[in-house]
Amino acid sequence: MQSCHKEVKIEDSPEGIKILLVGNPNVGKSVVFSKLTGLNVIASNYAGTTVSYTKGHINFNRKKGTIIDVPGVYALETTSPAEEVAIKMLDEENADVIICVLDATNLERNLNFALQIQKYNIPIVFALNLADVAKQQGITIDVSKLEEELQAPVIETVAIRNIGLKQLLNKAYDIFENPKGKASTDKKRTISEDDRWKKIGEISKRVQKLEHRHPTFMEKLGDAMLKPLIGIPIAFLVAIIMIAVVVGGGKGIRAGLLLPLLNNYYVPFITSLVSMFVTEGLIYNILVGDFGVLILGIEWPFALVLPYVFFFYIALSFLEDSGYLPRFGVLIDTVLRKIGMQGGSAIPIMMGYGCAIPAILGTRAATTKKERIIVATVVSVAVPCTAQTGAFIALLGAHSAWMLATVFLFSFVGILLSGLFVNKILPGEVEPMLLEIPNLLVPDAKTLFKKIMMRTRSYILEGATPMILGVLFASLVVETNALKYVAVYIEPLIVDWLGLPREATIGLVLGVIRRELAVLPLIEMNLTSLQLLVGSVVALFYLPCLAVMGVLIREFRLKVALLIGGSTFVIAFVVGGLLNHTVRIVSGIF
Amino acid sequence: MTMYGHSERKSCIIKRIPKIALLKSLGIREGMLVSIVSKQPLGGPVVVKLGKRNIAIARNIAEQIQVEGA
Repeated sequence: MQSCHKEVKIEDSPEGIKILLVGNPNVGKSVVFSKLTGLNVIASNYAGTTVSYTKGHINFNRKKGTIIDVPGVYALETTSPAEEVAIKMLDEENADVIICVLDATNLERNLNFALQIQKYNIPIVFALNLADVAKQQGITIDVSKLEEELQAPVIETVAIRNIGLKQLLNKAYDIFENPKGKASTDKKRTISEDDRWKKIGEISKRVQKLEHRHPTFMEKLGDAMLKPLIGIPIAFLVAIIMIAVVVGGGKGIRAGLLLPLLNNYYVPFITSLVSMFVTEGLIYNILVGDFGVLILGIEWPFALVLPYVFFFYIALSFLEDSGYLPRFGVLIDTVLRKIGMQGGSAIPIMMGYGCAIPAILGTRAATTKKERIIVATVVSVAVPCTAQTGAFIALLGAHSAWMLATVFLFSFVGILLSGLFVNKILPGEVEPMLLEIPNLLVPDAKTLFKKIMMRTRSYILEGATPMILGVLFASLVVETNALKYVAVYIEPLIVDWLGLPREATIGLVLGVIRRELAVLPLIEMNLTSLQLLVGSVVALFYLPCLAVMGVLIREFRLKVALLIGGSTFVIAFVVGGLLNHTVRIVSGIF
Repeated sequence: MTMYGHSERKSCIIKRIPKIALLKSLGIREGMLVSIVSKQPLGGPVVVKLGKRNIAIARNIAEQIQVEGA
């Protein structure tokens, strides 16, 4: 998933025109971008999905061009890092054309932004997006009148279904190649805020007709989800369905399809293939032995973890696109406020259950640095990523569901305590919530499918490879007996304090690379129930993966990253050891 | 009366708002008609409907917004 958040250095290319894609949050800029460039970027149904810019190239009727997807902003003021990016791009990018996406269901507020960007004296084409939803809601907008008022072309679009996008690009090239009315934009003076709102009121009165419609079922459901008495039971229901989909679906695919395939066909095949070329010995063991890289290197990433990753992303993507997550954020605001966050930060935390990297990048939509650090800490310390969750299910699911639930209980308590702690030590107040709730929608199947595939593919490309290398490293260590020399130093910690076998050291070494690698080696050891629990809890709190450390350094500088990384390490060993000894003492008494 | 004190399911007209830029950008301005959708317990945010859109507003901001029943 990193690939979609990569910041591309923008150089002044002689390649055709440069188009900035701007607008209010959650009006569909990223959808327009994906459709125009063919590049996949993550789009969701809530404000602040795009927190950095993405650049893409277009080739339209043999004319080249560059489009930049800019994070959404409500006004030209900076309140969050994401908005800083947007304003900086408008100021410094020297774009040839601006495509400003307007939400037809919310014209007034979008006009406020539309009028503000006119001061840049860059030719603008307006995309009046969500035209279909507006019609459903009884909103009619007179496009030619709006063009007159804005003195710029307006194209009706339904980006998600590719309607109007060709005309939009056509218009963009047109006004670039045949600039007209430049003089009139030059004369535009900046008007005072009150005058601007007056003007907006007049424009909307002239161009927009509202027809009263009875609320649809989705509108009623969307409102009901915001009422505690109905919303909280629905939140529990959503959580239960999500767990059922991920655990049930993942286990089903794993046990019903992948493991039989692996054990009955792949393992015999690869073992006999290898024995044709290699005689039994060190190399044979490294390839297909107990820790064989061709066995576990395939089984772990693809048969044990992939099914859960896939089903988790089905559930998460559905929630994102439906517009449910901000509603959950409102319900949980009171709780999160106690640990230094706004309800809206529930969204990056939820994403953290997928992967910590987009979660940490997603905090750029938060308005204070303090809140960003709290969310990043909580996600790094106590939120298992989907790959690690898959590993927990593979390790514990076979023993007891209760043990699995206990690990997640530790995770929740870890979230609360680490949030509480960082909230205490960092100065500053929690910003009050001011959050727009998007319409509740039935997600578009095609878009949803693409998003799930994109995320699954990025797991395979960016997650599975380090895992295979990790297994190779583990098999080298095991087969060459190198562990014996390393383990001498950490043995007291592992054996005496945590009560784990010496081989568990492998997990802790590999866990530095990726989270689930701290868990998976435990499967291959015959552990007692207590050892399973202690091992899982240590792995849960243990260092987030290397890639996450990299993102922490980039976002918050080395010092904060090291503090977060270091504390995960300490928490993991302290909690794991205390758990081990407490259970031993308690069970000794009874 | 403040927005926070206004009873649920009722409409009201906004009379005065505090100086928070985002409020205006979200459409919470003097003279706008909003209805209260819900109020979260334990001092949580209040959700108001403005046109077809819902906006969640923290208690301490909602307490600074003066409204009048409609």
